[in-house]
Amino acid sequence: MKLGKVIGKVTLSGQVDSFTGGRWLVVQPLNREALAGKGQPTEPSLVCYDNLGAGVGNIIGYVEGREAAQPFEQDTPIDAYNALIVDTINYMPPKK
Amino acid sequence: MMLCRVDGNITATVKHASATGWRFVICQPITADGAEVGSPTIAIDPLGSGLHSRVMVSTDGKHATELVKCRKTPIRNSIVGIIDT
Repeated sequence: MKLGKVIGKVTLSGQVDSFTGGRWLVVQPLNREALAGKGQPTEPSLVCYDNLGAGVGNIIGYVEGREAAQPFEQDTPIDAYNALIVDTINYMPPKK
Repeated sequence: MMLCRVDGNITATVKHASATGWRFVICQPITADGAEVGSPTIAIDPLGSGLHSRVMVSTDGKHATELVKCRKTPIRNSIVGIIDT
């Protein structure tokens, strides 16, 4: 699971039929510098399936890979799933 | 297994039902001599690791599903060892 900041929403006009009723978030992954509050995003943003109702500006924990398709009954081609919406981040890297 | 250093934790009330009650820890992957590599990941922590301690993180989803006893959990990383030396 990685942290990411929600920067937008996606509505689909055409989709795979197992995606019906899904909500989609555009998420910017947070690297070390972004977590510490400075630095530019370096990784490309991605689209996550959302079942928890995260809004723009929330920081979420998203899961990639096979585990992202676990919570669905039938096999769906999803590989980014919003697992939690973060309340507080206590990020304290050791000072060099 | 990934060699990581614990850099903090996060709290989240709105989450997948299977994740309730678990401690979420920010794990920063490091090299053997402690240099930071890549972006931090979040793992559930059944062992209670302390801040800045080095831990072994398993990215095997199967182990995580057995830990949280829910076959449909999206959790993947779990701390499986706290490193002494």
